[in-house]
Amino acid sequence: MLQRNWFLFVLLVFASWTRPAVDAAEPVDYLRQVKPILVTHCYGCHGALKQEGGLRLDTGVAVRKGGESGPGVVPGKTQASRLLSRVTARDVTLRMPPEGQGRVLEAAQVEILSDWIRQGAASPDSEKPQADPRRHWAFQLPLRPPVPESVAAQNPIDAFIAVGRRDRGVIALPVSRPDVLLRRVYLDLVGVPPTREQRAAFLADQSPGAYERVVDRLLASPRYGERWGRHWMDVWRYSDWYGRRRVPDSLNSYGQIWRWRDWIIRSLNGDKGYDRMIVEMLAADEVAPADQQNLVATGFIIRNFYRWNYNTWLKDNIEHTGKAFLGLTFNCCHCHDHKYDPLTQVDYFRMRATFEPIEVRQDRVAGEPDPGVYPKYSYGKPYKPLTTGMVRICDEKLDVETFVYSKGDSRNVIPGRPSIKPGGPKFLGAADWKVEAVQLPAQAWYPGSQEFVREEERRKVRQDLEQKRGVLGTARKLVAGAQAAYIAEAGSDLARQKLELARLTLAVDEANVQASVLTVAALEARICADDVKYLGRSGDANRSAATASRAEREAAVALARVVVARARRSVDQARGSLKPGDKKSRDLLLAAEKKQVAAGKAVATAVKALEKSSTDYTPLSHQYARTSTGRRAALASWITDRKNPLTARVAVNHIWGRHFGRAIVASTENFGNSGDRPTHPQLLDWLAVELMERDWRMKPLHRLIVTSQTYRATSRTGGTDHPNFSRDPDNIALWRFPPSRMQAEVVRDSILWVAGSLDGRIGGREISQAQGLVSPRRSVYFDHHGEGRMGFLDLFDAADPCDCYRRTRSVRPQQALAMVNSELALQQGRRLARRLSETAIEEPGFVAAAFRQVLAREPSQAEAAACIEFLAQQLTIFKASGAVKPVADPKPAAVPPSADYRLRARESLVQALFSHTDFLTIR
Amino acid sequence: MSGNDTGSPSSHRPRRAFLADMGLGFTGLALGAMLQRDGHGRDDPHLQAHRRPDGRPHLVPRAKNVIWIFLSGGYSQMETWDPKPALNRYADKTYDETEYPNPLKDPLFDLRSRAVVGGTRPHAKIFPMQVGFRRYGELGIGITDWWPELASCVDDMAFVRSMYTTDNDHNAEFQMHHGRHKLDPPEPVLGSWIHYGLGTANENLPSFVFLGKYKDTRVRWNFDANYLGPAHSGVELSLDPGNPLPFGTRSRGVLAAEQRNQFDFINRLNRITAVEYPEDADVRARIRSYELAYRMQRSVPEAVKLSGETPSTQKLYGIDNKTTAVYGRRLLAARRLAERGVRYSLVYLSDYGEWDSHTKLKTLHARSCARVDKPIAGLLKDLKQRGLWDDTLVVCCTEFGRTPGLEVRNSTEKFTGRDHHPHGFTVWLAGAGIKRGVIHGRTDELGFHAVENPHYVTDLHATVLHLLGLDPHRLDIPGRKRLDIDYGRPIHEILA
Repeated sequence: MLQRNWFLFVLLVFASWTRPAVDAAEPVDYLRQVKPILVTHCYGCHGALKQEGGLRLDTGVAVRKGGESGPGVVPGKTQASRLLSRVTARDVTLRMPPEGQGRVLEAAQVEILSDWIRQGAASPDSEKPQADPRRHWAFQLPLRPPVPESVAAQNPIDAFIAVGRRDRGVIALPVSRPDVLLRRVYLDLVGVPPTREQRAAFLADQSPGAYERVVDRLLASPRYGERWGRHWMDVWRYSDWYGRRRVPDSLNSYGQIWRWRDWIIRSLNGDKGYDRMIVEMLAADEVAPADQQNLVATGFIIRNFYRWNYNTWLKDNIEHTGKAFLGLTFNCCHCHDHKYDPLTQVDYFRMRATFEPIEVRQDRVAGEPDPGVYPKYSYGKPYKPLTTGMVRICDEKLDVETFVYSKGDSRNVIPGRPSIKPGGPKFLGAADWKVEAVQLPAQAWYPGSQEFVREEERRKVRQDLEQKRGVLGTARKLVAGAQAAYIAEAGSDLARQKLELARLTLAVDEANVQASVLTVAALEARICADDVKYLGRSGDANRSAATASRAEREAAVALARVVVARARRSVDQARGSLKPGDKKSRDLLLAAEKKQVAAGKAVATAVKALEKSSTDYTPLSHQYARTSTGRRAALASWITDRKNPLTARVAVNHIWGRHFGRAIVASTENFGNSGDRPTHPQLLDWLAVELMERDWRMKPLHRLIVTSQTYRATSRTGGTDHPNFSRDPDNIALWRFPPSRMQAEVVRDSILWVAGSLDGRIGGREISQAQGLVSPRRSVYFDHHGEGRMGFLDLFDAADPCDCYRRTRSVRPQQALAMVNSELALQQGRRLARRLSETAIEEPGFVAAAFRQVLAREPSQAEAAACIEFLAQQLTIFKASGAVKPVADPKPAAVPPSADYRLRARESLVQALFSHTDFLTIR
Repeated sequence: MSGNDTGSPSSHRPRRAFLADMGLGFTGLALGAMLQRDGHGRDDPHLQAHRRPDGRPHLVPRAKNVIWIFLSGGYSQMETWDPKPALNRYADKTYDETEYPNPLKDPLFDLRSRAVVGGTRPHAKIFPMQVGFRRYGELGIGITDWWPELASCVDDMAFVRSMYTTDNDHNAEFQMHHGRHKLDPPEPVLGSWIHYGLGTANENLPSFVFLGKYKDTRVRWNFDANYLGPAHSGVELSLDPGNPLPFGTRSRGVLAAEQRNQFDFINRLNRITAVEYPEDADVRARIRSYELAYRMQRSVPEAVKLSGETPSTQKLYGIDNKTTAVYGRRLLAARRLAERGVRYSLVYLSDYGEWDSHTKLKTLHARSCARVDKPIAGLLKDLKQRGLWDDTLVVCCTEFGRTPGLEVRNSTEKFTGRDHHPHGFTVWLAGAGIKRGVIHGRTDELGFHAVENPHYVTDLHATVLHLLGLDPHRLDIPGRKRLDIDYGRPIHEILA
């Protein structure tokens, strides 16, 4: 007791600055003071979810009643109250909450509990126990709610939003000005603003449906896939390889993963169903094993790869599959049962078992060198990133077992506990998936049986044969020449020697041709045997295999003869250069003769090998396991099942959030009990069902959203004195369109775009970040990984490639410096000013053109006046500096400032417009 | 502005109200706090219920700024600040042949180390100390002979000889800065928490600065704000006065007057927009950020310009000497930044992995010590003579220690070094709020395990935060679970 008081005292001293101790005389309010402590620190194990030790602490009655070891609290008696002694225990094995599962209570909190007990531990009778976490809204199947009756709303979204607005007593703002709306929808759907021409055309189009036609055109543009691809790359944690790039040593993610990025863009542009996208990302190798175009989708799993530790790889797969697709935080269950959701540690390991058999696989791609088989890690060795072919997932450890370990540390496998079968969360009915092994087609497990591989191999051996034949022709001519010389020189020793050498070379080249002919034949025989053996062509498999085997051995004999012919020539040459008494030349001859003997023996061995009958021949590539466990296919099919309550909700929530800057459930990666409540639950469910019923296609959903009145509403209120601000200052009810700042990539791309510089090429290997300020490619194509992001993008809050379910948004002075000083803004500004000046002769016309092109709007009178004044000021400054001789620039810019001062002033103006808040803001 | 977006009578809004915002709204507010209010915080509804820091400390601060010196690669505790004569006594013996319990069989051995990759690292034979040592100062604190300059400072320093970490490979470097093992998800680094909690004391300079050069880009993980967002990451400053800050220099083709006028013009346009959109806090933050940017562009080169320092000051830091010049400059710049209100300078006083002496420990450590001894001693003396001692906290650390045993993994070379050692190493602190001339904690006689008052790396973080007046528990971000060990506990025994 003394000890405990001492501990309390120490705690109090430590924490005295955090909160003044509650005055003992002051009565403690259970609901306001005690209950929040219990909710935060105790409910996870002593509430509706779990009742460790038979104890619940979710009502005052339950607290007093206690659990298996007796009452939790004895009113008036602090010393007899276990609740108090356990939260203050010095012994960490007794102290609650246990280490790793919660934080030690602060002294002030202990004081509240002890005062409450001393004062009689009263609590209201009406108190209800904690609700069952299984009943949580997100775990119930979404049903399409009826669209609220509304006269005005033609779009169901508006009808739902109208209800929310009415509840909060706010009124809807009218629709945006057309050019504001146009710019908004451009930046939203394709990530660049409209050009002057596009804006003019839209403003001129007074016919009905003009806006809808723009929307359709934007959704059909390949720019859409690049823009929305980047959004999904945030969620799916796209990262190029990293680890120790300096070495280079590829530890995390993998080289060639950009093919997954291209798959994302391609799939979005093709409006592939979201369900199918999930299936392919998790299990393309099981559901479409021969489809190279889609196998790269498993980059989702490859991205989590960590060469040094597969536990980390599996852990990240579980965590991010849960967060990205299901809004479930499985990561909490790595160490213990979930504190808020009915997820258990066993659920975690069921998920782990799902991924346990995986391995990285490198595949050959048509037209690129064979990347070879994935090199398994050897301790201490660095691995360069893959630069050819593709990378994908496969199941390799087909019989591997998964064991539960404790404390999140794979060293602590719990002995005696049986292995865990693959599955998902039990409370969602996923504990017992029907997992069926997948029989893979030959093309999948034997890449060498693919037609393109055969063709490329054929081309290789045939080209080799052609080349050898060419050489043979030359050799023949040389022999003829040497013969002629020999005759002409009447058999001189030198001529004879030359003739002999030419004959021996001819013999080498003849042997080479022979070997090439037989190699071609052997390849055809191997292909033929493969056809029968693996691809179901009719024929006697043994016989064709035997033929291939023999053909290969015949080619081997021919190759051995090439070596013999070469050795003969070497001996002849060595003999020719033999100098009497010279040991070196003598040794060379001996060595050559030795090689000749060895070559002769090799031929004999090869010939001997012809005698045996065999059906063994070399396959055209490595052969992988012929089955896959089907575990990931089962996972994918459960996630994309229409009965899964989470998947569609999570998806539409992400989509909504990217359109409006705020998701319906703010915690996009956590739909559990500890996540945020939806601001519009009915709308969320309606959209989720809508997505599923439209075959999970996203474009119709985008269209529905951006054509709603809610989306078209103005963002402009005229001031914070607008009455809506007092009722809903955070615009939760979406009474106006929420303005936001361009995302990092949009800033960079838009500068390039308005300047007319943006390179429209789609896809391809990642471009070095170092090129970011000079390359005109879209930002999505630059390398982006855990070791670094492009500096310019980073300043504008580019995605953290390791965790970006939501982006942050900052306003920083360094952004201003980047906009003013970066070569990107400077040079693109110069380009644009010159382009606009081609048609704009007078200053007012130029100013208007610049505003239209950069800001997609007209300048106001005040703005136009400010611009004219600025142009004049800059002109004065340049003229004044004209006397100063310019210093020679050692590294001149690609687009240096114009020598014409008037034009240079215009350049300065365009550059300034990039810093205009209306450029960076989506209104 | 030409259009009236909504038809609402915005133009009638009293201009005075807006101007009041511009003129008074931000006066005296820390930039960090302002930006948090206007930007990030408001934009992320998940954080809405959560009270973000307002830039005020939670407790009375004892220090205003921190210079965190990091020596990368892992310096040997026994050849620096924790000499162990027993190693000489038992040179070439195995652990079992000493009078002490075999440290490899101590349960602490497994408890405090967790390998990222498998593989064993044998180092059973004891390697004697590679340098002599003496006792210095009033207390007779033993440090090795490689610190001739710092030897005169020991009475001002507080040594923590009982640090431990849990990674036996170089990811421990990042662990030292964010507190987590490589196999656990990383946290924001210490400097980012400080920036997040306190904002900035000088708007014209970044508040969390990295000074150093590296080729290995992972070094950036040492100043990565992680989930606090890039606004709280360290800003890399270069000591090149021509280009000290990324994008912080006028392009060669641009005139000073031209740019000054351009900045004015930008804000003139943005003020016109701010009148049109009085509800848009971002515009106001942006106008402010352009003003700051302009000042920052002038202030940063001034702050890192060392030519204004007297020759005697430069000499104090060893800038006159080739061996010590590079690191001396870095520390002198750090002092100048601290003077100007930069809260946290992470000074990388080595190459990446420089101290990693698997072989040739004697040569390599002697060389590296010689590079930093004079500059660090110079910094301590300079802080004292300038009256900055009570404002500035200096921390000197590395990612782990080195094995008492001989490294025998690399069989191609003669064994002359020590392997990585997370189980016990030494860091020291000096300056604001720190006791002068103390040794806290102890490793065992062989320098293997931290046995007395052991401290995990986050205790060092907690100590720094405590001195700056921050309580890490009050900086939590909803949805980001931190364990008790992530917060650490201040090392009260070394606090003055």
